[in-house]
Amino acid sequence: MEPLGESVMRTPHNGAVVQRRSKTRSYRRSYRSCLGTTSRLCLTPALTTRRLNASRRAVKPQTLTERVDPAHLALLVKSEWQLSYVTPLYQFRHTQLKSYSKQLSAFIVAERQQGLAVEVSELQNSYRVSLSVLQGLTESENDPETVLIQIHSKPLFAKQDEPQRSVWSGWLTCIQGSPEYLCSLSKDFTCLPLFGSRGPEYLSRVVKSWFQKTFDCCFGPLEINHTSLQWFVALWVDCHSQSNIQHLKMLWTVPAEPPLQIMYTVDPQDAWDLWNSVKKEEAAKEAEEVGCIELEEVSGYLEALKSHFYRHFRLDLSAGILTQVSTALGLAKDTGRIKMSNSRHVIATLTLLTECALLKMPI
Amino acid sequence: MADTLNLSDSDRSSSSDQSVTNRSNNRSLRIAEKERRKNEAEDSFVLAVKYFSEVEEGTPVFGNDQLDRNLEVVEKVAFSKGLSPEAISVLLEFAMSLCMGNSPCVRVLKCLIPASVVPQQAVVRAVVWLNVSKIPISTQVLFIKWVLTVFDLIDAKDQLRAIYGFIFSFITEENLCPYICHLLYLLTRKENVHLYRVRKLLELQSKLGRQPFLMHLLSLYKVFCPELVTLSIPSRIRSGFKSYNLPWKSALMGVQKRNGLQVSSSISSAFTVKEKSISRKRKHCHLDLPALSSALNKEPQSDLTSRRKMVPLVQLSSFSQMLKNMHRIELPAQMGSLLGSSLALQYLDCVQEESTLLRLNFWLGCALHEEFLFCSQTSEEALQFLNNLLSVQHFLQCGLMECLNNMLLKWLTWHSVYALEDDLDISLNSHTSINITLSGFKDSVMELVHFVGRLASLGLQLEGCNTLLLSFILDFYETASDTFLKFDLPLVVMPPPGVFYPALLATDPVSVDRLAYIMHRYKLNLTSAKSQEKRTEQAFHISRQTFLEFNHYLVFMVNCLWNCRMFHANTDLHVREELLHKSNVPQPWARFDFIHHPAFMSYAVDFHQKCWPGRKAVDLDSIKQSKPWSWYLEYLFNQGFDGLKDFVHSSITKQVTPGDERGDSQRR
Repeated sequence: MEPLGESVMRTPHNGAVVQRRSKTRSYRRSYRSCLGTTSRLCLTPALTTRRLNASRRAVKPQTLTERVDPAHLALLVKSEWQLSYVTPLYQFRHTQLKSYSKQLSAFIVAERQQGLAVEVSELQNSYRVSLSVLQGLTESENDPETVLIQIHSKPLFAKQDEPQRSVWSGWLTCIQGSPEYLCSLSKDFTCLPLFGSRGPEYLSRVVKSWFQKTFDCCFGPLEINHTSLQWFVALWVDCHSQSNIQHLKMLWTVPAEPPLQIMYTVDPQDAWDLWNSVKKEEAAKEAEEVGCIELEEVSGYLEALKSHFYRHFRLDLSAGILTQVSTALGLAKDTGRIKMSNSRHVIATLTLLTECALLKMPI
Repeated sequence: MADTLNLSDSDRSSSSDQSVTNRSNNRSLRIAEKERRKNEAEDSFVLAVKYFSEVEEGTPVFGNDQLDRNLEVVEKVAFSKGLSPEAISVLLEFAMSLCMGNSPCVRVLKCLIPASVVPQQAVVRAVVWLNVSKIPISTQVLFIKWVLTVFDLIDAKDQLRAIYGFIFSFITEENLCPYICHLLYLLTRKENVHLYRVRKLLELQSKLGRQPFLMHLLSLYKVFCPELVTLSIPSRIRSGFKSYNLPWKSALMGVQKRNGLQVSSSISSAFTVKEKSISRKRKHCHLDLPALSSALNKEPQSDLTSRRKMVPLVQLSSFSQMLKNMHRIELPAQMGSLLGSSLALQYLDCVQEESTLLRLNFWLGCALHEEFLFCSQTSEEALQFLNNLLSVQHFLQCGLMECLNNMLLKWLTWHSVYALEDDLDISLNSHTSINITLSGFKDSVMELVHFVGRLASLGLQLEGCNTLLLSFILDFYETASDTFLKFDLPLVVMPPPGVFYPALLATDPVSVDRLAYIMHRYKLNLTSAKSQEKRTEQAFHISRQTFLEFNHYLVFMVNCLWNCRMFHANTDLHVREELLHKSNVPQPWARFDFIHHPAFMSYAVDFHQKCWPGRKAVDLDSIKQSKPWSWYLEYLFNQGFDGLKDFVHSSITKQVTPGDERGDSQRR
């Protein structure tokens, strides 16, 4: 862990992983014992009380540069990703990535030239696909390793010696996925519920279709809902003391005629001060909650922001919904697009998104 | 004729396999004998066939009256009755050896209508001739077309498969290629698919471009070895091979009809490569059933030899095929595709593996979530999808009860989990939008249980109290009987008479045992509800009606099984005295006690034999004496009837002998 600077004093962190309340866990056990019989179509591991955590650890800034390949990290950080959720992959093996690369590239070529068969071999001259493990991008021991997918291709009218360029990239990840869920799956399944992609839509489609056909999984759009966006607001503002958030921008959509979009920009220092005024004193929290942000605090903060807005513009934002949040640390849109601008907050962001993706898993 | 055939065959025996020739000779001998005896009038045909088997190479064709005459005879028989396997062998040999050149060859080929089967041996020899003699390409094409037409009538395929590589070599001949591809398509097995063949086909593809016949053969290769080749077939391409203008088809059908044979029309049914996908717009992508395709990355632990023997589900086209290969069926890449074919559904019904069903569950869950939960408008595709699911549900009948049971279970669980957690905000955010009161919830559960009760009564009536259906219904009541103790819901709903009596009077002991267990649970639930009511003096109470119903059932059950007083007054079973009398059943009131109940009679007899091994005459009533009775009960409980054990222990307070009027039943 990084040495804590002076400014961090106000938001002390402890390394302890937040434990879910033990009470919740025992309910879950009781739920399982109730399920005496199982149906053939209802065998999904028992999880009823899956919901967004009501409390989460404040961002522990992490220097990923030490454990993740800087090139990979740069790729993750520099671009905006379109998110999807993925149901668990059947018979996926991290050791087979080489052969998957071959299969996927042949599949892409075959899809591009409908009706022409393609040999599954080492070299496809039009597309080169590489699936690789994104080393180091895991947080808990239950998390399967992140998989990075890159597609290189030559432009249509390229010169002979021109090198292939990256045309599409994507990743499948699971950061601090609910251990109950992960452990309840049998060994045949690998749970990498969060899928991010960047590049032409047709390639995304083909890649998804290949994964569906090969690992019998399903993809669905992962929107970042109102609540999750609020979490992003709080998590990012809470980091201001370590890395300047520069600004806090929130886009609100208010149901008016015609529809009204409001961009609400807050000065970073103001945002930080307001956050501190809303935040509970650490001393007031229970021992296990120290270093955590509570949902209560998040909604309190948003309420404060809204009432500030109301005082100035006589417009109640509660009527609308938050559709986009951005700071210098990142950008999140309700349509499921995300940008992580600062490598130190990648893990925190992906943790929250993994949670959202797991919530989408069909029971 | 037999002799001559024999002779002609032995003439050629230098070039053919001796043993096989002998075998076919024996057969031809038998059949020829039979034919001669049966119909002397066929002599001219026999002579004609003899002519073709004996005719010397190089005999002139033009002006050869004998040839013309014999050809006419053969054609006449061929188009009216069809040709015997032997005649086909002879004629095919004559034609393909180009004994008298091309023109009689074509003429003979065109009349090769089999009456029953085509000997594989003859076809194999003819294929060999393809390479040896200089047959014009058009005639070669004609021959392959003939093979395709009669393919299903060829008596065995093993030797043809053995020369797969040889047949494959003709693929480079441009005019033959489409037909050879088709033939290969019909012959291909997993062991025939090799990388060098894939490469050869791809080479042809690069030369000929997109050709449906190459595409179909390659897609079959993909079915067997997806790790070697991949291909995506455009949706506008029709599945299957082109049906050529086959000159034999109508004649063949006519002959077979006349011969009273079932026309095997599998020539076009054997290949449905890909279901046509109709969705041009990709809006409802989750609703497309995936196409059946074989899995690419199999479990690594399965070794190569066992994997070679696996049969992809796509390859099976009939139920009997499936039964034959039951032990080595390979599941498709996507479980969702199973829902598209009834054959696959048959298999699904037998699949026990948890992860298999989980895969299906993920797919179904995702599709339902994406298209119905998160999207409000219904569309044509959605209806189609639901219809599909309905038919699947219909297919997996009995599944309905199980679903309802699960629904109840989930509901109750949901209730018990959330009720305990009510200090947390239940309707946190948008994730759960369900917010109902306890009494509302109670009402819905009650409605569900009543609904299932009606459904179950009706179902049992319609299905003649089917044991399997009854078992699922009892599953449901196992859940329903425990709503109070297990799920903390102050509600007890009794099963309707339409369920209770069929279960009590069932002929299998398991159903009766389970009913006893259910009654035992009802009792525990009711007593604990009552005591809680007294203790806490809370407003909630279980209706008096429920207690009455329970007692009613209990009294009947005890009277029936224990007290031998089945037709007591105040029961639901009203049978008139004179009717009972008419039935001539001795002691009708005792017919459903533990000894005479059809479900337990065999146990009673068995017990009787064990208890009094010396006795010749079986007198079951002797079990009713006090000591044997308690032994008998012990014996029953030892057979695993725990439900009965619980029931007897909880509801029959005194271990008394039957008939002793004091078989006390619990009353409130």
